[in-house]
Amino acid sequence: MGCDVLILGIETATAQVGCAIGAHEGVLTSFHAAKGRRHAETLVPAIDFIARQAGIELDEIGAVAVDVGPGLFTGLRVGVITAKAMATALRVPVIGVSSLDLLAFPARWTPRRIVSVVDAARGEVFYAFYRQVPGGVQRLSEHRVGRPEELCSEILATGEECLAVGDGALRYADALEKLIKVDIGDAGWAHPSAGSLVQLAHAQALREEFVNPWELTPVYLRKADAEINWQTRERSAATPAPPFLA
Amino acid sequence: MSDADVLLGIETSCDETAAAVVARGVDVRSSVVSSQVDLHARFGGVVPEIASRAHVELLGPVVAEALVESGVGGEDLDAVAATVGPGLVGSLLVGLAAAKALALVWGVPFVGVNHLEAHLYASFIDEPALEPPMVALLVSGGHTLLVAVDDHGRYRLLGSTIDDAAGEAFDKVARFLGLGYPGGPAIDRTALTGDPTAIDFPRAMLDQGYDFSFSGLKTAVVTHVRRHPDVATDDVAASFQQAVVDVLVAKTLRAARHAGVSRVCIGGGVAANSLLRERLLDACAGEGFECFLPSRSMCTDNAAMVAAAGWWRLKNDGPTGLDAGAQPNLRLPVA
Ligand SMILES: [Zn+2]
Repeated sequence: MGCDVLILGIETATAQVGCAIGAHEGVLTSFHAAKGRRHAETLVPAIDFIARQAGIELDEIGAVAVDVGPGLFTGLRVGVITAKAMATALRVPVIGVSSLDLLAFPARWTPRRIVSVVDAARGEVFYAFYRQVPGGVQRLSEHRVGRPEELCSEILATGEECLAVGDGALRYADALEKLIKVDIGDAGWAHPSAGSLVQLAHAQALREEFVNPWELTPVYLRKADAEINWQTRERSAATPAPPFLA
Repeated sequence: MSDADVLLGIETSCDETAAAVVARGVDVRSSVVSSQVDLHARFGGVVPEIASRAHVELLGPVVAEALVESGVGGEDLDAVAATVGPGLVGSLLVGLAAAKALALVWGVPFVGVNHLEAHLYASFIDEPALEPPMVALLVSGGHTLLVAVDDHGRYRLLGSTIDDAAGEAFDKVARFLGLGYPGGPAIDRTALTGDPTAIDFPRAMLDQGYDFSFSGLKTAVVTHVRRHPDVATDDVAASFQQAVVDVLVAKTLRAARHAGVSRVCIGGGVAANSLLRERLLDACAGEGFECFLPSRSMCTDNAAMVAAAGWWRLKNDGPTGLDAGAQPNLRLPVA
């Protein structure tokens, strides 16, 4: 696999659905829709469309890259299963990229610390910290899920000026803006982009950081509710059994 | 379209991840079903989020196995069919998205399939000689429908449940009796040693129309067991099962008589129930109806029935757009 590999990028981790095809010279064609029909309806027709517009046959694709999250579960599953199916049918490898890494990437020119924040619904956010390094960004923390207040105290603990990007940063802008040293990235940086995805994936392809399509799985960072409830119930012996035939 | 049409079917509407390769809607080249029952058993029912996650992990290997077993390469397929509804939306989306992606890469049509229609087409798979018109009883954990099939794709709804689905009643009663999940096979097994005449449970709306009601029966089981704590569980299971089957068989036969058809078929998970199969077969024989019972593995959710229904839909209506979405509340298209 040379450096001229064509990469199809699939981006469905947030409310936005996107796809792009890129090569070493950058993004060749892309599509994004942040509003409108849902991911499953839009994604495959969009891939078909961008490939046709760019005059690319799908069998020229050398790798499929996908945002594996964290993000909205249903969207992630649509993207990940589409990537798995396309890569398997094309007999090419897949590359998984983190949504938070993707959000930080376009902000790589800032000297400030970057915090990527994805809305996790239910009053929580997924987040991670980054700093600028030559050619990109470096992740400084694990991916975390927590309430906006927890994010705020972590930002305070850095003692540095921060740029917060992502739909989670916009949603909880009120809380974040109370912290003096924090700026909020504008709406243009609200969602991970499929363009950033093919750029980051291209670097990974050069390092041959591929995944077997079957092993690709979304990064949920949160168990299914039923499992959480189950564990809580197991731990607390005092909880009565559920009533019959509720 | 030639008669050699070979379809890949994908089914992920509930807790079975399935893929199958079927030629001309009847010739099953492979049918692979990966059940998630063990993942959901401790919760006593299907947990949607857990089901969706499992489909993402299982679907790739299941499709690969179906292709290998069939000896058909992806590029040699003529279309890809997937269930679009009814079912759990998060689960449906996984199979649907995969099917559309495969169809796009292989350059073949995609066809979206109604899960209920797929259950009807399970009968055609095992009985290539079967032709409409017929009366079909569709009984599963989510559905209880009595349908007149006038022709391929032409249905008249005769009756349906006004409360619980038949399979739901099995699950709830099994849970109440401590027989575990899923309830259908558990009741079927336990009833083998019980006396079906031990308790005279109500047969709701037996003589009225074609609609069904099972929630009163479930309540009657609970009431009886609370009043008679020493009652033998196998007698309760057998008597409950007998009551359900009596109603299902009586209404199906009455529908067949009134519709003036000569053929009766069943589908859905509850159609795997031993007593229902035996009684329906006997009753049909007694009145001169031809009775079509798909094999048990074709009654429970599988992808061969999806490929079969997909083949008929493709022939009649053509392909489905790649912009199709999941339709969790899809109904059988009735006249
Ligand atoms: Zn079913």
